[in-house]
Amino acid sequence: MPIGAVELPSRGHWAPSFAIPRGRSSPSPITKTKSPAEFFAENKNIAGFDNPGKSLYTTVRELVENSLDSAESISELPVVEITIEEIGKSKFNSMIGLVDRERVDTKLYDDYETEKARERRLAKEARAQELQAKNAALGKKVKEPSATKGAKGRGEASFYRVTCKDNGKGMPHDDIPNMFGRVLSGTKYGLKQTRGKFGLGAKMALIWSKMSTGLPIEISSSMRSHNFISFCKLDIDIHRNIPHVHLHEKRENKDRWHGAEIQVVIEGNWTTYRSKILHYMRQMAVITPYAQFLFKFVSEVAEKNVTIRFSRRTDVMPPVPVETKHHPSSVDLLLIKGLIAETSKGTLLQFLQHEFVNIGKSLAERLIGEMGPEFSPKMAVKSLTSQQIVRIHQLFRQAKFDDPSGGCLSPAGEYNLRLGIIKELHPDMVATYSGSAQVFEGHPFIVEAGVSVGGKDVKQGLNIFRFANRIPLLFEQGGDVVTRTAMKRINWSSYKINQTQDKIGVFVSIVSTKIPFKGTGKEYIGDDTKEIASAVKCCIQLKSKIVRKIQDREQQERKRNLSRYVPDATYAVYDVLKEISKFHASKKRRYEEEEEDVLRKVQSRSITKETLKEMLAQYVEKVDYEMALEYATQSGVNEEPREAIYIQALEDGYNFTDLHSSNFVFRFIQ
Amino acid sequence: MADKKLKQKRRRPDPTSDDESELPFKNILKPDQAILETLKQLFLAATTTTTAAANGASTSSSSSKPLTLSDLSLSATCREVTDLSLSAVQSTIETLILQIARSILAGNGFSFQVPSRASSNQLYVPELDRIVLKDKTTLRPFASLSTVRKSTITVKILSLIHQLCLRNIHVTKRDLFYTDVKLFQDQTQSDAVLDDVACILGCTRSSLNVIAAEKGVVVGRLIFSDNGDMIDCTKMGMGGKAIPPNIDRVGDMQSDAMFILLVEKDAAYIRLAEDRFYNRFPCIIVTAKGQPDVATRLFLRKMKMELKLPVLALVDSDPYGLKILSVYGCGSKNMSYDSANLTTPDIKWLGIRPSDLDKYKIPEQCRLPMTEQDIKTGKDLLEEDFVKKNPGWVEELNLMVKTKQKAEIQALSSFGFQYLSEVYLPLKLQQKDWL
Repeated sequence: MPIGAVELPSRGHWAPSFAIPRGRSSPSPITKTKSPAEFFAENKNIAGFDNPGKSLYTTVRELVENSLDSAESISELPVVEITIEEIGKSKFNSMIGLVDRERVDTKLYDDYETEKARERRLAKEARAQELQAKNAALGKKVKEPSATKGAKGRGEASFYRVTCKDNGKGMPHDDIPNMFGRVLSGTKYGLKQTRGKFGLGAKMALIWSKMSTGLPIEISSSMRSHNFISFCKLDIDIHRNIPHVHLHEKRENKDRWHGAEIQVVIEGNWTTYRSKILHYMRQMAVITPYAQFLFKFVSEVAEKNVTIRFSRRTDVMPPVPVETKHHPSSVDLLLIKGLIAETSKGTLLQFLQHEFVNIGKSLAERLIGEMGPEFSPKMAVKSLTSQQIVRIHQLFRQAKFDDPSGGCLSPAGEYNLRLGIIKELHPDMVATYSGSAQVFEGHPFIVEAGVSVGGKDVKQGLNIFRFANRIPLLFEQGGDVVTRTAMKRINWSSYKINQTQDKIGVFVSIVSTKIPFKGTGKEYIGDDTKEIASAVKCCIQLKSKIVRKIQDREQQERKRNLSRYVPDATYAVYDVLKEISKFHASKKRRYEEEEEDVLRKVQSRSITKETLKEMLAQYVEKVDYEMALEYATQSGVNEEPREAIYIQALEDGYNFTDLHSSNFVFRFIQ
Repeated sequence: MADKKLKQKRRRPDPTSDDESELPFKNILKPDQAILETLKQLFLAATTTTTAAANGASTSSSSSKPLTLSDLSLSATCREVTDLSLSAVQSTIETLILQIARSILAGNGFSFQVPSRASSNQLYVPELDRIVLKDKTTLRPFASLSTVRKSTITVKILSLIHQLCLRNIHVTKRDLFYTDVKLFQDQTQSDAVLDDVACILGCTRSSLNVIAAEKGVVVGRLIFSDNGDMIDCTKMGMGGKAIPPNIDRVGDMQSDAMFILLVEKDAAYIRLAEDRFYNRFPCIIVTAKGQPDVATRLFLRKMKMELKLPVLALVDSDPYGLKILSVYGCGSKNMSYDSANLTTPDIKWLGIRPSDLDKYKIPEQCRLPMTEQDIKTGKDLLEEDFVKKNPGWVEELNLMVKTKQKAEIQALSSFGFQYLSEVYLPLKLQQKDWL
């Protein structure tokens, strides 16, 4: 394969055509071939490397998703450690062997402060200080003076070392250079639900590191069977799209670790993308509760450090998604040609029968009959002309096929989604739903949804969590089908949920062999795909479940809610009674005997506020008891099915003191 | 006839005469004296029917002593409230509270029977030309999660009203809300319960001594006493006199006006007030700046009843304009329990009517396309009884829904700001163009 020619992107659905730029300003008539690596370097925004901040975010997520894929592929519960280390300028310089130089000609720099500007700044600072002193004297809360950073010049980039370690499959020693140092070098063929966006993974991070810091990427890896660790230090030759290996060696594997550890130094921006990265980790923890994440941010300034552990809450892992064949109504012309080129089958009949799902022998024969007289079941598939392939394509689009099954998909699972929500949000209540497989343009998809109310660190109103193929989507929320459905098409008040006051979490996870992303960034799913929109709507309408939960909660809280109003009501009544009894003395008005009696008692203070309050409270108690009884007889005692809980195993090396009973044992760690 | 002449003139392009034809139709205006003559006829017609009604030949439309609910033998019993004196309100509250107290002491908690003000409980009575409340009530028990808040608020409001009765003072709805913000949460809740309380006690809201902030204004040939002070509405400056929130302190109305002009919008009102339109054609100009509040409706009714003047309405040519007209005329659903006191019968729709858009050649750029919501509202209005009873209105509304165009009163300003007072209204009056 010549350099520059590209295989079909394996995981991607997005086939970039590396068209040759013609007749730009260059006078040379020779057309220049552009390597895929070059293409992505120039269009890095497509892969989510728009700016340093987003690049840091995308690097983290690519590494994390690779790690999860890798661990899941060998059915290992994932343990992922991700560390972002801030690197100061001088440290960075020393890393690349550059000597720190003092500025000599200060006026040369962009952030040079003129005399006037300096005066102004000093005056402003003095004022601020004065104000602060005043505030402090008045005992007001003193606000931390915002870090007076000078406007960062362009030269003041921040650099970060991102390290991601997992317990996955690892990589074969000899393949490592090509896996990282060549863009779109995948060889897989077929269709599968995958996390990755473009199949670029860490490669794009490598290109970015090459562009921003020039430092190589470091990879350590070991596979289960290996007794050594492969260590590789490499960068990429962007123009030729080949790896440039600095160091590739085998090292000792003392603690029988398997997995991969990737370390890359890139330019980034932690300040602006901090919350995005943390959100990403949190949402990832929601959708993959069976994984354990350790996220660390290490900075030179100690108080900026962040360490978050997202612990494992279950050991149930969704099955590994199965590779499947293409559905005839989903293929395009190019793909048919590609399949023909790759197939091992000789005849057209066999080709149709074996390279596609939902085409049986009889259907294949019928299809060939329909194609026209120049087609026959026995004809060699490789001999098809372009016109004939177009005919096949046309027929595929028009003919009716059974829908593909969702068997090849790997949804998060209702259980896991629910656990994830409970684990990360601690909601007051949660309801989840898992839809059955449906079809969009020949690709099966499954929608799962959850709705939570209340919880920790959840803001008021709708909080929408979107997942596509089990990865969180954080950007471009506004146009997304989930957001729009939740905001516009769901009548929350019919669930007795207040859309603006309650803390509502909406979780929607869509898995498919092809997610119909919109926009170049692949960050949101279009609202115009009706099938998905209606599936999402169905899912979020967990009406019966939510209403039931709310009823349950109301039952529990009825007494409290009723009692809350007892004082207000009784005081109001008593106020009037007191007034009446005052005037009653003057006998302005005649009352019935019982009323007279009440008024006399009020006057003699044998009926007081407290009497009324007590009586009303007693009544509430009585009613509550009656209603609870009624509710119990109506709804029966069918509680929710019990769920197995997962208790994380302790690591070895503890001494226990056991306290035995006939039914259980208490173990205390010494 | 006038129309014909006008059309001929318009067809002939006449570039030389740009002084008079600047204001279209101005040339067909008769002298004010002639218009006053037509107004006199209108005025006399209004007063004579009144006297006729007094003589016993009662017609439902414009009689000053209209039918009451009890005069009609309706199949469904209806609920109506009356003005109660303070002491009556007080003793009703006391009886109610004593009942509640006894019920609590007997260990039975308490609950209210609240007349339902839902739209299913409303009835338009064509004979009365207004909406009345049917007799359905809902139970509001304390011991239910859905009503515990409301019943507590109801008790609280009752006790507050009781205090007002004892002290004989007036407070605003806002005051009432601020007595216990924590309980009421927002003013709409205390306001709604206030109406409920009026229904429970069977009195008008004004008898509860709770008033709303002033909203409506009046200007023109009217003299009345407000709390003992004589007010001359021709000498109130440009803004006019704010309509007093409690109607019971208004009295001694005198006027030499020939009609009352009801204006939907503040802008049009200011125009007319500044141009002293009421001096050219003796009239009283009233506006509530949009949807009318209780005080303005009460005031309008009082003027109509005491002065026996015809009422002409100037509203926008859109469904909401007509809706506002209907609230003055037949009452709102929310306050239907008191529609007898709040509605003013026999309001004429003077303008701006959908047919005026073409008749007065209002330029395209001043007309707005109706939104889908507008059209829906318009179609809904066509189903309403109070529209149906007037064939002229149905026709106009049909035209509006058909052309899908609306226009505000201000659309007339495209001919000059004073076109409204100088040409449009006089011409309308001259042609007796009201429905």
